[in-house]
Amino acid sequence: MARAFLRDKGRYVGLLDPTERTVLHGLMEQTRVLLSPEVESTGDTFDDLVASLGISLGGPAEATGNLGTHGGSAERADRDPALDRLLPTAHRGDDEVAAEFRRLTEEGLRQRKSRNLDVALERLSAATGDRVELDEIQAPAFLMALTDVRLLLGERMGLRTEEDADALYAAMEDLEDDDPLGYAVAWYDFLTWLQETLTHAVMGTDLGDAALDEPGAEFDDEDDDEEGPSRPGTL
Amino acid sequence: MTTAALSLAPVEQEETSTDELVAPDVPWVTIVWNDPVNLMTYVTWVFETYFGYPRSRAERLMMDVHVKGRAVVSNGPRESMERDAEALQGYGLWATFEKDE
Repeated sequence: MARAFLRDKGRYVGLLDPTERTVLHGLMEQTRVLLSPEVESTGDTFDDLVASLGISLGGPAEATGNLGTHGGSAERADRDPALDRLLPTAHRGDDEVAAEFRRLTEEGLRQRKSRNLDVALERLSAATGDRVELDEIQAPAFLMALTDVRLLLGERMGLRTEEDADALYAAMEDLEDDDPLGYAVAWYDFLTWLQETLTHAVMGTDLGDAALDEPGAEFDDEDDDEEGPSRPGTL
Repeated sequence: MTTAALSLAPVEQEETSTDELVAPDVPWVTIVWNDPVNLMTYVTWVFETYFGYPRSRAERLMMDVHVKGRAVVSNGPRESMERDAEALQGYGLWATFEKDE
């Protein structure tokens, strides 16, 4: 069973059992595939920048043609809707400005998000004795990777508004035990809890080693009754 | 020199330049929108980490997003707001930029 991420001698350490690591690894890989940039990172920041500019500012047709609302409309048509949660429209009300912004930023965002996921995947694979260890650089990357996984999972479960969230949890009451939606929600809740503990750890608001004796320090997957710990607050 | 320039300038031109002076660039804003996935603690951490806001301000902005559905998290020239929106999207927040009306 998982134990919260806690600060431990300048590092952040959480315990995830093999099943938890396998499932999280799989979800992160799926997110990584969806976000994968046109140009994979070379490991050199400058080369990556040049490569991403080469793609985004690309061909003569794009450079001289109608960018605005027409830009990429064909590729937008078969775009996975989950991408609009991970790479949302940056301007509401002006499609032309939004398309231009997307053209200039999307490749770079895909590269950065993919790098975060790569860091998290490597950390999960490197776990020894269930210990997942993160340093000061890896912890923020892990947090962002968890966010993107939860955004993708949330989108797949139809979680787009507060009302959706209320409806989803209300529907959970009547689900059969073997309903795949219940399985998805349980993992989603687990990742929410895990991200909450790591966020507290990097903000210095975790309880440190003292938390090991606290009831909330371990994930309780039977928290669907009233007595269980409350869900971490979402926006 | 200022006096000489003014005295040589036709009245119409002077008015034109005055109009330009009193119509400064409208500042742009970065907005973060409510969503049902992002955690309150995490959003507070992002505002602290990216903007360097003190915790009290970061928490207040987060609560504005949570309660009011959106919050202006930074303002300034358009280029800066585009940079902020891009960075916040990197963190997984639903960030947009627009001209402050």
